[in-house]
Amino acid sequence: MVPRLIMKLDVAEVRHEPGDVLLATLTHPRRPLLPAATAGAHVDVHLGDGRVRHYSLWGDPADRSAYRIAVKREAEGRGGSRRLHELLVPGASLMVSAPRNHFALPETGGPVRLLAGGIGITPLLAMAQVLAAGGRAFHLHVFARRRATAPLIEEARRRLGPGRVSAHLDDEPDTRVALPALLAAPEPGAVLACCGPAGFMAAVRDAAAHWPEEALLFEAFQPLADESFVPEPFEIVLASGRRLAVPADRSALDVLREAGVAPPASCETGVCGSCLCGYRDGTPIHRDVVLSPRARRGRFAPCVSRAVGTLHLDL
Amino acid sequence: MTWAGTLLHIHVAPSASVEMEELAEARLIPGRGIEGDRYLLGTGTYSQKPDIREVTLIEMEVLEALAQGEPKIPGLKAVVDPADHRRNLTTRGVPLGHLVGRRFRVGETVLRGGRMNFPCPYLEELLGVPGLYEGLLNRSGLNCAIEAGGVIRRGDPILPLAD
Repeated sequence: MVPRLIMKLDVAEVRHEPGDVLLATLTHPRRPLLPAATAGAHVDVHLGDGRVRHYSLWGDPADRSAYRIAVKREAEGRGGSRRLHELLVPGASLMVSAPRNHFALPETGGPVRLLAGGIGITPLLAMAQVLAAGGRAFHLHVFARRRATAPLIEEARRRLGPGRVSAHLDDEPDTRVALPALLAAPEPGAVLACCGPAGFMAAVRDAAAHWPEEALLFEAFQPLADESFVPEPFEIVLASGRRLAVPADRSALDVLREAGVAPPASCETGVCGSCLCGYRDGTPIHRDVVLSPRARRGRFAPCVSRAVGTLHLDL
Repeated sequence: MTWAGTLLHIHVAPSASVEMEELAEARLIPGRGIEGDRYLLGTGTYSQKPDIREVTLIEMEVLEALAQGEPKIPGLKAVVDPADHRRNLTTRGVPLGHLVGRRFRVGETVLRGGRMNFPCPYLEELLGVPGLYEGLLNRSGLNCAIEAGGVIRRGDPILPLAD
């Protein structure tokens, strides 16, 4: 994995958005330009207690003077966003990594449909700004329950101009649109990028089942929920030939860590891609939400994924 | 050898990949490292590969040469800020390449040259400066041991010691 600089950034500005969301503008005390980000990228935010959380950058990637993140307070979450809401005070500082992108749009192609569910608007808003600047056709569709809790819609309209953002709100029936109708007829070369809660993305996937696989781009920020999965033991073979047994109740990452060969890890829920490694042979059971179907042919997320029998890793 | 140099900058980082922080003064602990730095704390990228790495130095003259650029070998022209090269001490007027195995004074402390620093692709990737690895070959600074500790300050003289 490419190492990334971890910087102590200033919280320059904090603003409230609908939906219990804080918008934070992060700047560097010394550097006028931050490491460049591409649209769809995220940064790791270190919470100061060993925990790390990933936040998509929603600002214009051409503006390297600041990173802009949106943090939704998840009352039922693991506590990271609650802590971050306490830490995001103007004048405070925060350890933040240089950006990384697992959700990059192909640079060429036809018109782009950006489908956001709630706070999933963040990486798509960055994409929209790049598409607008590059003169490529696109439309941003934001799906949310209520206008009063939907973040960044006005910001998106302000940044993108009229006619490029549609809000589809459950509590405003005349704004609603059926996904199958919206996605019925892809233009030649059309691309669909989608980010939002798991249920929303599953619905988009279903409605876009007739689209070519390579035209679809999904970014999850929640781990795969699959309560019926029963983990089985399997075996890892390292590049050195060393064999490691992974019992049913432990992750491959855990076992690799104990053996002293683990890649760096972060979320440990199959979302962030920090611990990805290559595999050469074997039948993995992919349980991450970060690898594309194509990438799954050669890459493996040891924090959540498992295998049938023996898996040969490039470690 | 007669030369007289100056300590221009002192930088430390608490752990691997974390940006360096500039200090006006720092305490050197003999046989261990700089207070607050990753190689004293054991949290550096290379902490698990034992070597003499208590303090690392690089010449300001090298950074100036990189900024000026050398069109033929290998075409790299890059501004590398003293906060970015990840060596602890930036010096001027000190012939680091001649100090392997030799003792010299930095302010009130005494260092001993261990081995020439070797540039790492890690730094090139971390800073996102393509070609920096080659650009630093043979002039990536000096890794030192601390023989006599104490406090060093920006602007301290750096002087040779008889062996």
